[in-house]
Amino acid sequence: MSSLNSLLDGFASALTLSNLGFGLLGTFLGTLVGVLPGIGPALAIALLLPITYTVSPASALIMFAAIYYGAMYGGSTTSILLNTPGESGSVMTALEGNKMARKGRAGAALATAAIGSFVAGTIATAILAFTAPSIADLAIKVGAADYVALMLLAFTTVSSLLGSSQIRGFISLAVGLVLGLVGADLQSGLARLTFGNQSAVEGIETVPVIVAIFALGEALYIASRFKEEGWKILPMKGKALMDRADWKRSWKPWIRGTAIGFPLGVIPAGGSEVPTFLSYAVEKNLSKHPEEFGNGAIEGVAGPEAANNANAAGALVPLLALGLPTSATAAVILVAFQTYQIQPGPTLFLTNGALIWTLIASLFIGNTLLLVLNLPLVRVWVQLLKVPRPYLFAGIVTFALLGSYALNTSTFDVQVAIAIGIVGFLFRRYGMPITPLILGLILGPNLELQFRRALQISAGDYGTLYATPLSKVLYVVLILVILGPSLWSLRKKFANRKGYVTK
Amino acid sequence: MKLPQGAKSELTFVGSLFALGLLVFWDTARTEVPAFNLTVSPKVFPFAIALILMGLCAVLFIKILRGDIARPEGLEPGDPIEKSDYKTFAIVLVSLFAYLLLIERAGFIIAAFVTFFGITVAFDNKKPLRAIVFGFIFIVVIYISFTKFLNVALPAGIFKGIL
Repeated sequence: MSSLNSLLDGFASALTLSNLGFGLLGTFLGTLVGVLPGIGPALAIALLLPITYTVSPASALIMFAAIYYGAMYGGSTTSILLNTPGESGSVMTALEGNKMARKGRAGAALATAAIGSFVAGTIATAILAFTAPSIADLAIKVGAADYVALMLLAFTTVSSLLGSSQIRGFISLAVGLVLGLVGADLQSGLARLTFGNQSAVEGIETVPVIVAIFALGEALYIASRFKEEGWKILPMKGKALMDRADWKRSWKPWIRGTAIGFPLGVIPAGGSEVPTFLSYAVEKNLSKHPEEFGNGAIEGVAGPEAANNANAAGALVPLLALGLPTSATAAVILVAFQTYQIQPGPTLFLTNGALIWTLIASLFIGNTLLLVLNLPLVRVWVQLLKVPRPYLFAGIVTFALLGSYALNTSTFDVQVAIAIGIVGFLFRRYGMPITPLILGLILGPNLELQFRRALQISAGDYGTLYATPLSKVLYVVLILVILGPSLWSLRKKFANRKGYVTK
Repeated sequence: MKLPQGAKSELTFVGSLFALGLLVFWDTARTEVPAFNLTVSPKVFPFAIALILMGLCAVLFIKILRGDIARPEGLEPGDPIEKSDYKTFAIVLVSLFAYLLLIERAGFIIAAFVTFFGITVAFDNKKPLRAIVFGFIFIVVIYISFTKFLNVALPAGIFKGIL
């Protein structure tokens, strides 16, 4: 099989001494940053981007793969021991895991999270390795008009499914699209929204925006709600080990979590919020001990953690095969690719085949390294939770500003970062989700490009946008996603009027 | 009409996003398109985005007036929205601007150190001396590892020739 051969080649190049070193460094840094409270994988990768500015593409991608998984491992440790999920995907883990830790079962919770992540990550990466090339083969036939439909669908789902309010999601997206407009137009060279600023002509860099909106926005927001009380870290007794009963109760949720997480990562379902929640609901329904849910049920950690990791690997399928990020973390990885002038998409496996197989191989390696290194070292990571809050935020902000400046050694990027930091603060204060903004900024220019390409081919006939079967299907789904929530609440109202009691 | 608590500031925020849409619209309208033949003018997208943004803001504006107040991130439904702590916020913001002003004038070490220290002050650090020592070591280590090992250029400023 050619995929298998390419994968073995990938292993060969990922296992050279220097690349293995970068992988090790990545797992270390990823876990380190991921453990820090309030930092999810997206911010972890964004903060560590500057480290790779001068490293070769292969080594950098290996490091990113390791950081990606490492940050997720680290994040689950924090969720369990500190009850501060760093991102929406860990909310469910925090729910049951923290209760387990309170009962003195932190070790078992950490172990089921880590081993579940490993199992899910390995299975999902294997599926990725054997499906992504064939999806890319199909994707070559996807035309410009279909891309327009795909991107519009991704925008809609991410804006609708995240956060509590659909309209706030769409406004966030629109602000991101505005940021994406700044600079010289790709086709005509027309300077848009630059207001005479020479630095703005080259457009707004995505790295400072991402780093600022997460790190600076969060620091400003925490500052605005500052209270003196610190965190309460739960003590961890014994080792991170599971007994026989724990294994018996964990392995099925791992598999089910993988089955839920992977497909929901492949389709644009708005990140890890939905799959982890679904997995939690499934485990609660299937459990023989439903009364334990909410009081520290191990299934409630095992399932969502597996779903979260499988989801992350699933999100790499549209990213690598179509160049379409479906979550904030995937968007950051896309930016990392673009730093090396590599554009993910259908042709990626042809133009940069060796590189991608190295990346996939290093996902396997990184996952294994994490399991081997982190379970025994979990106590060391726990010490990191004791970093006092002032130092923590000071360190994060310093790193964020360093990354913004070092990208082009320009103060314009620092100005952008501070401005976006304030925007990030306001978005948090007024309940607007941030991921749509990032997707808008990154995909907006791409959408415009494909839109124009489609119309050029059709010589200005707008009918071309919904001429293919694929685009027709996508637009129907899109309308359903937009109208779904309103129809749902209408139905509820109707049911209430009839006298049904709905929850 | 009596507005719910917190509505006023949110209306201002949404209003300023509406103004952003207006700005995009105005800037697009006043620029002239180069005279070569394009199927889709470079003005189409800006116009569309501006209109969408303004439309959405108008809808949200009405929703807020009808009581759909935003819930700040991290709060559960029903939690009271506390007044912002402007002092801590202001110190953090000033620290950010200090970096912008100092990075090319005084170099990375000074700029990052001022920002680092400013933020520890904002977050009510009880031991300033420890913050100074720890912050300085942290930043020097970062500086050396980035410039020496990762070949990322950072301005040396007054430490030129020493480190």
